Amino acid sequence: MMNRRKFLQFAAAGVALSAVDKTLLAGIPEPVMMGNADTQPLLMPNTGRPYQPVATLNGWSLPWRMNKNVKEFHLVAEPVKREIAPGMVANLWGYNGQSPGPTIEVVEGDQVRIFVTNKLPEKTSVHWHGQRLPNGMDGVSGLTQAAIEPGKTYVYEFEARRAGTFMYHPHADEMLQMAMGMMGSWITHPKNMNMHKVDRDYVFLLNAYDIEPGSYLPKTNTMLNFNLWTFNSRAFPGTSPIVAKQGEKVRVRVGNLTMTNHPIHIHGHEFEVTGTDGGWVPKTARWPEVTTDIAVGQMRAIEFVADELGDWAFHCHKSHHTMNAMGHDFPNMLGVSQQGIAKAFSKLVPDYMPMGKTGMSEMSDMAEMMDMPLPENTLPMMAGKGQFGPVEMGGMFTTLKVRKDMAKNDYTDPGHYAFPKGTVAYALDNSEGLPIEHQAAPTAGEKPITEFNVRKPHKMSHD
Amino acid sequence: MFYPLQRHVAYYHKALLYLLCLLGLAGCATFSEDGGFNEVQKTTQRYIKQTPVWANSNEVKQKSAEQVKALLSPPLNIENVVQIALLNNAQLQADFYSLQLAEADLVQAGRLPNPSFSMLYAKHRGDYTIEQSITMNVMALFTMGKATAIEKKRFEATQNNMVLYVLSMARQTRNAYINALAAKQAVDYLQQVNESAEATYQLAKRMHEGGNWNKLEVGREQGFYMESALALSHAENACIQAEEALTALLGLKHPADFKLPARMMDLPDAEDNLKTVNRADFSKRLDLEQTRLQVEALAKRLGLSKTTRLIDVLEIGPASVLEGRRGDPVKKGLELRFELPLFDWGTAKVKRAEAMYMQRLHQANNQAILAASEVRAQYSQYMTSFNIAQRYRDEVVPLRKSMLQESLLQYNSMLMSPFALMVAAREQVAAVNDYIEALRVFWLAESDLEMALVGSPLDSEGSVL
Ligand SMILES: [Cu+2]
Repeated sequence: MMNRRKFLQFAAAGVALSAVDKTLLAGIPEPVMMGNADTQPLLMPNTGRPYQPVATLNGWSLPWRMNKNVKEFHLVAEPVKREIAPGMVANLWGYNGQSPGPTIEVVEGDQVRIFVTNKLPEKTSVHWHGQRLPNGMDGVSGLTQAAIEPGKTYVYEFEARRAGTFMYHPHADEMLQMAMGMMGSWITHPKNMNMHKVDRDYVFLLNAYDIEPGSYLPKTNTMLNFNLWTFNSRAFPGTSPIVAKQGEKVRVRVGNLTMTNHPIHIHGHEFEVTGTDGGWVPKTARWPEVTTDIAVGQMRAIEFVADELGDWAFHCHKSHHTMNAMGHDFPNMLGVSQQGIAKAFSKLVPDYMPMGKTGMSEMSDMAEMMDMPLPENTLPMMAGKGQFGPVEMGGMFTTLKVRKDMAKNDYTDPGHYAFPKGTVAYALDNSEGLPIEHQAAPTAGEKPITEFNVRKPHKMSHD
Repeated sequence: MFYPLQRHVAYYHKALLYLLCLLGLAGCATFSEDGGFNEVQKTTQRYIKQTPVWANSNEVKQKSAEQVKALLSPPLNIENVVQIALLNNAQLQADFYSLQLAEADLVQAGRLPNPSFSMLYAKHRGDYTIEQSITMNVMALFTMGKATAIEKKRFEATQNNMVLYVLSMARQTRNAYINALAAKQAVDYLQQVNESAEATYQLAKRMHEGGNWNKLEVGREQGFYMESALALSHAENACIQAEEALTALLGLKHPADFKLPARMMDLPDAEDNLKTVNRADFSKRLDLEQTRLQVEALAKRLGLSKTTRLIDVLEIGPASVLEGRRGDPVKKGLELRFELPLFDWGTAKVKRAEAMYMQRLHQANNQAILAASEVRAQYSQYMTSFNIAQRYRDEVVPLRKSMLQESLLQYNSMLMSPFALMVAAREQVAAVNDYIEALRVFWLAESDLEMALVGSPLDSEGSVL
């Protein structure tokens, strides 16, 4: 995870102008490109109507140009290299240097003009998911417009009529292009800055990829068996934390562009779903939750007051989605000793290490202790190092970090939480021989069924 | 047919001189010191480094035994096995005596039949008559020159055959050594496979006992184990057979008398290091040389003398020999000088002689065609087996190794099960095993090519033995 100093360095170098031919694109705003996958500082509006900007988790917002009364953006659809987490890069398709593309932020009632340049090897289009707009601007290739051929630039122009959270993605060869990572978030802020006002406003998309360990390109025909589940094309431990000052009101807008649902869960707080793709939820219709299921193609905006200090887990509650690439054919070897067998194995495979007897933790322990090599460009199935040891997570997992003092526009990682003394779960000193073996209660009138005794906890050992 | 010769003492010395003179004309028909073996040794060394030794005296026998003992003390190599066989192979030692037999025939042919000598001493009324008589086969005296020449050819042919026996023995021994080495290495590899298969099965059994796996899943691993155990049994048997074959060729009592090295000879680095075949090599073929001797002997026997011209038997029918590198076009009609005389049949009274001679000539033609074809085929076998072995060495084995390495990395990240990892390991071992087999085929091909350039032993009628 990034420290503060590193973040500033990145921020300075992050936004760079691309080398697009100026004469060719005369009259078109120069596209702005992004070179890294970290959460970028807020894009404060200095033209147009004022609004409170969002922070895109592991992403950024696209700068615009005011042309008379029209906000002009330039999206470039192109192949990109996205760092999924340190140690793994994916060859994706995206916009303006990253996948997902930049968040587009406008204000309710803005006149918006978006230039879309296609630098992909095939035709594309952009559909503005959830928006009220003229049918010809809806971006469904063949149906509402001709597809954008490679090398062409198309212009979309409409008024951002409804405030809310939206998404954009291609509607041409949609399955492949979305499986390749083409998507982005769109925020239309309310005209009235005091409406739905929060202190911190986060947005990100849920994505899934199927990238064979050791390779770089997603298998785009996969429908269910994805092996990488990501927040904004970023997997834990590569995900940025959600940070807040204690007592701040926080909104997190999560859009799901994967092919399955994700129960998004927060620790230590309750939230309410305050918005969907369809608009704001009336206050009277909201109810408290700690998990909300986000269906395919849906967006949920949740709000809570970050009043509990600490490092709180924030993740999808499908446990397979908080793991990185794993082997579905790896048998469950719990309790199976490899004593005597590992030796025979290592005759043919000298570096063989027996694993799986006590669980899958062995793998992360082993990787850490022995520096066990993994395939190239592959994230460990579970990883992440907390102050107490391995976090053993991956995929759709990050942390909500609530601190006493956090500057208003500071979104950088404040580091590990300093736990007050005596507030952390502790190990019992059982050297006195405290009972740890459970006794099965005999059934009335029958002899005790000893076979169902709970097993004694194993000490970690490799034989 | 005996013709008694009676002379008075006065003539005795004269007659003896005459006899000696005749013997001299017939050519030194006496036993040579080496029994013609030096020539065999000399010719043999045109083809191989090793020397055949004819242990026909206790002294040589003992020396040979010491030499064999010394050669057996380190692990064998392909040069030493040949030397051991040439010193110690029992059949070869038996064959060497044909040389002595042939020489005996030659010497016999060059000798007058033992004359019978008698002396009569009579005393009659005070007169003495001393009558000495030498009786001998006079006809033998007249045919002796011709018989000696024929037996001389026969002796040369035997010498030639002896060289072929030696070279053939060298090849058989080399091949037996290559086979034994490959068989032993196969056992080593299959033992590894079997050990891992057994361990895999044991692990599967524990998985079943712990409730992790059902019977079907264990059965699958047990099946692998059974297959590998059977494959090992086959390999062990093949190894014993191969070692016995080598033991016999080396003239040893027990396979324990020798040690095989751990590994087969490496493949030559590149195609450039391989043997090439050219005309000079082909014309060294001993069986063709021998055929010439036999044809000449036949002509002599048939009393054919007036040569009209020489013909190249390879020109009787189509023949071509590969020259240069593989892939070069085959050169037609290699200028192998394999010439045999044709005779003026007009003066030969006997048609039978013509038929016999022409038959032999066509046999020689066929032999030359077969020889040329054999060289081509063996050369192709040699090059192809090199390319195959090279592919195993440079592509298949490295590929399997890297796939195993990748599999291990996948196992490390728990992406691949230990059972699948062991399958990859066994596949890698199988690739190494296939390479050893390819190596065996290559070294046999080299050995066979060398023999194709030497030829095969022939019997006295010119048929391949
Ligand atoms: Cu999920």
